[in-house]
Amino acid sequence: MTGIGKLMHKSLFLGAAAAVMAAAVACGGSESSADPVVSASPTPVPTRASAPQIAPGLQDSTPLSGDNGGPRAGGRFTLVYSDPPTLDPHLVVDGTSFGVVVELFSGLVSLDKSLRIVPELAESWEVLEGGTVYKFRLRPGIKFSNGDPVTAQDFKWSLERAGRPETASAVAETYLGDIVGMQDLIDGDAGEASGIQVIDERNLRITIDAPKAYFLAKMTYPTAYVLNRKNVESGGNGWTDSPVGTGAFTLSEYRVGQRIRLARNENYWGRQAYLDEVFFNLSGGVSMAMYENDEIDITGVGLADLDRVNDPSEPLNRDLVDTPAQFGVQYIGFNVDKPPFDDPKFRQALNLAVDKELISSQVFADLFEPAFGIIPPDFPGFDPDLVGLRYDLDRAKQLLSESRYADAASRPRIVVTVPGSGGSPGLDVEVIADLWRQELGVNVEIQQVEWATYLQDLNRKRLQAWGGVAWQADYPDPQDFIDILFYSDTQGNRGNYSNARVDELIVQARTEQDIQERIKLYREAEQIIVEEAAWLPLWFDTERKALLKQRVQDYTFSQIAIPKFKDVWVTDAG
Amino acid sequence: MTADSLDQKAPQPRARSLKGRSHFRLAFARLRRKKLGMAAMTVLSLIYLAGIFAPVLETHGYSDTNLLKTQEGPDTENFLGTDRLGRDTYTRLIWGIQTTVIVTVATLLTGALLLGLTLGLIAGYMRGAVDSVIARVGEVVSAFPDILLIILLAATVRPRVLNWARSVEDGTGISGLVSSGFVDFVVIGIALLPLSWFGTMRLVRGQVLQLRNADYVEAARAMGMSTPRILFRHVLPNVISPLIVTVSFGMGAVAGTEIALSFFGLGVQPPRPSLGIMIAEATGRGSTATSVLTQHPEQLLAPIAVVWLLIFSWNILGDALTDVFNPRSR
Amino acid sequence: MLAYMVRRLMWTPVLLLIVSIIVFVLGTYGPGDPVEVRLGQNYTPQAAERLREQLGLNDSPAVQWGRYVWDAIRGDFGDSYVFQGRSVGEILGPRLWVSAQLNIAAFTITLIFGVPLGFYAAKRQGTWRDPAVVLTSLALFALPVFIIAPFLIWLFALQLDWVPVSGWGGFFDKRIILPAATIGVPGIAVFTRLMRASTLDVLGQEYIRTARSKGLSEMVVNYRHIARNALIPIMTILGFTFAGLFAGSLITELIYGIPGVGRISLDSIFARDFPVITALVLIGATMLVFANLLIDFAYTIVDPRIRLQ
Repeated sequence: MTGIGKLMHKSLFLGAAAAVMAAAVACGGSESSADPVVSASPTPVPTRASAPQIAPGLQDSTPLSGDNGGPRAGGRFTLVYSDPPTLDPHLVVDGTSFGVVVELFSGLVSLDKSLRIVPELAESWEVLEGGTVYKFRLRPGIKFSNGDPVTAQDFKWSLERAGRPETASAVAETYLGDIVGMQDLIDGDAGEASGIQVIDERNLRITIDAPKAYFLAKMTYPTAYVLNRKNVESGGNGWTDSPVGTGAFTLSEYRVGQRIRLARNENYWGRQAYLDEVFFNLSGGVSMAMYENDEIDITGVGLADLDRVNDPSEPLNRDLVDTPAQFGVQYIGFNVDKPPFDDPKFRQALNLAVDKELISSQVFADLFEPAFGIIPPDFPGFDPDLVGLRYDLDRAKQLLSESRYADAASRPRIVVTVPGSGGSPGLDVEVIADLWRQELGVNVEIQQVEWATYLQDLNRKRLQAWGGVAWQADYPDPQDFIDILFYSDTQGNRGNYSNARVDELIVQARTEQDIQERIKLYREAEQIIVEEAAWLPLWFDTERKALLKQRVQDYTFSQIAIPKFKDVWVTDAG
Repeated sequence: MTADSLDQKAPQPRARSLKGRSHFRLAFARLRRKKLGMAAMTVLSLIYLAGIFAPVLETHGYSDTNLLKTQEGPDTENFLGTDRLGRDTYTRLIWGIQTTVIVTVATLLTGALLLGLTLGLIAGYMRGAVDSVIARVGEVVSAFPDILLIILLAATVRPRVLNWARSVEDGTGISGLVSSGFVDFVVIGIALLPLSWFGTMRLVRGQVLQLRNADYVEAARAMGMSTPRILFRHVLPNVISPLIVTVSFGMGAVAGTEIALSFFGLGVQPPRPSLGIMIAEATGRGSTATSVLTQHPEQLLAPIAVVWLLIFSWNILGDALTDVFNPRSR
Repeated sequence: MLAYMVRRLMWTPVLLLIVSIIVFVLGTYGPGDPVEVRLGQNYTPQAAERLREQLGLNDSPAVQWGRYVWDAIRGDFGDSYVFQGRSVGEILGPRLWVSAQLNIAAFTITLIFGVPLGFYAAKRQGTWRDPAVVLTSLALFALPVFIIAPFLIWLFALQLDWVPVSGWGGFFDKRIILPAATIGVPGIAVFTRLMRASTLDVLGQEYIRTARSKGLSEMVVNYRHIARNALIPIMTILGFTFAGLFAGSLITELIYGIPGVGRISLDSIFARDFPVITALVLIGATMLVFANLLIDFAYTIVDPRIRLQ
């Protein structure tokens, strides 16, 4: 059972650090399951490709260090994981694959623990010609794990390979499409990307089509990782079973459905990893019990186990750690084209009738923070003064009676669709549906469909109202919430919300250079969206709980897949 | 789940030329002497009655939440305490039983009785090409690994059937098809069909094949009795007893499978309770159940106890019926 | 007889073809799209189109089905939609082997306990021991796996610390014990009941009385005559039960983290990974068909009076 529920949703966790995507790219953000249970899923700590940090220091991740002398080499770290759909960096679209690939491969630049962009295989770079040309200088003497030298030519070949139609990368456009000539390559109209030029062995020049501050951040995604041509061309599709990379680890064993074992890469350019082995257990199981029995080193804590591990007399309590909050918001979305959601008063009434504070404390043990706006706390653009539609039953009843759908008998049927490939439809949706019935006399059907069906209907904007998902930030800019989710006619605007003033503000914000001004514009738009009740915002993520063995040092919980195991060490090593 | 292996063990009944009615009276008299069988029947009656009369027996609405009283132990207001949303566990339990009652009875009626019996009678009596076609279709359906087919159907077909039912409701003014769970029951019933009809069909067919050459059937035919009449008067009464036995074993299997389906979120739609959903919710789907058992045992133990009693009792009853109808194995 | 077997064998491929058509129809006309699941929130119509083209999903269902059958005949069941570049054989092969071992272990448990218990119950008919055995085995049978598995884990792994909670180390690894017991113990009831009935049947036969009257020892009568004859009907359902066990191990595999077919069969349905689903269904169907065939065959050997037609 562990695992069934999360499986599908994980594919969404991902992503994409799509990050990074500038305003030009219409999609972004990731949708993920909003299972309110802090799940004991097979991936205990969801690696979510989210937000490369443009503004440094915005969200320092939490290094958990202990003082047991210095780091020492040796030992093993074990975790429950699920089968990565691919180990080919250029095909990665999901967090599960990303989490493994990021340990095996690397690119020109990467993210550090604070999610800042730092040099990886490039030791330095220059930005020329008003931001359209990037000149990278590679580190001297860098090698692939098989000992081959890494040259600028390897990068050109790799980037072009990612874009070639026969590679069929789903995200090449998103991450590499800014490079001059790449779009033609992707479409099969060109044999190479003219914007990638090899100057010499160690120098590479990349030209992009317009000055885009996010370009470097995109280069941290696996689509831009360097591969070994000999390796890739050796074994057909099977080359990923013995991949040659530039990460801190190499793949020592991969048995599909059973385990992945990583070993130290002796040819890594930087400090060698401490661990002898990282062991990904792919066959699943009840991770809580496995943790208690010392079979794994880390696990998430589910709602059902939370009371127990919170008890100070419980031995597990000593291992309890907080994982950083994700920048995400859970909500129930309304399709404003479909009655009765076409009447703002009706939507407002539904908003006002829900006492989120009460639900949060009674049902979720305060694991979630009630959301009254769209943008999460601590995120750029978060509006602490936003009041939103707070619980006010009298006003809710009054608005309902004023709305076109005051009469229950003639009110159109309301169906809230939730994804569910395992078990219950989400406690919050169930309780809210009942509150609407009890307090307002509004009857709601909950329809639980499994993930594939849900996704299809959501993509085609066919759902009248939907719950059970969260929007996760991919990059720290309010554009990722407001523009992508509420601008008329975007793929991410699943409820067909449209407001002329909001559109105007969003367009203005896209070109506004001053960050404070932009935030003001977004706040005004957010205010309108919330007042018009385009959604019923539910929860912002708060810190979650995990258990981590005390022998493990310097493990970093991050909101995005970063190479984390090279710094981990265990006190009982050697 | 494993329960479905039981119905493989359909008793090998013998042709008997007893007159139907007296045969049953005799059988029932024998059954009354079986203490265990009677006990099982009593338990089953109680469970099924509880399910049928759920609307009367409920103390709350099954989806009524009460956020001021969540995860409380049993008291005079909530006989079995409340769940995480403050819903009454006792009420949800009896409604969950009703779900199981409807699914088992519906599957039994459509699958085992209607389809299995009719097709079995036809196949056995007509033989030849008709028999072959029915047997081949049955083989195809039963060649699907049960649980895979069920999950596949529930995942792919159900949402579309639901949408269709909604448009029917909106178009015709009929109401309650979807909200009452009727559509769910139909889909689940169809998904569970392969579990039930093929076994019955083969059993009935075998019986008919044996009987059709029996002297009294030949005599009836010679006297010019019509085929349907022969089937009804002479063949049917004789296949009913082995059928009852098969069905009583099959009921346990169907109940178990419905519960598993709900456990995976592919059963009835929320907020309608089902025993599987209750188990899934109580264990949080990902934990060892250890935490639940130490803190709120009633939330998990109540549905589990009912599931256990259901399957246990159906099988004991099946055993007793085997003995009753098939005294040679005594 | 031979003609009958040949006819049955020739029918098998037809049956498998029909089964594959049904899966294709469900896949083509049912909701959900493997491409969209794979793309997740990266979905754009263009990206989906490219992926569809690459996976060959743009051809008409009939063409796809034809291609599938043609490849399958030559032993190629295609590549998974989810696990990119991995063939279905590569994905399912090891998992099937694991599930097979687990089920053999479970089956062994079922037989070792079930058959003697049934025999014992029959021999003790009329005493309290008979119903006690039957009831106990039935009580275990009725326990849902959702409660057996957590209980076994709690008791043997967490409290007594005899075995690890989960994992897989092959047939001769102690980690196989709990999952095998979880699958096997409920099945005991099936065999106890069968063996009991069949033993009772044999006990009533003339030749047993004859054997006893010949002065053979009770031991010899028990084992040479009663048990051996009583076992015959059991043999015939062995194959069938075994084929059915694959489905039964699904939940158990999930709970114990067994890298068998259980998890992948659920995952593949949810991800609409049709090459994997189709292969699983076809494998299951083949096993059931051959189990059926074996049963029929066994019947004719056991009871020569049965003539197949």
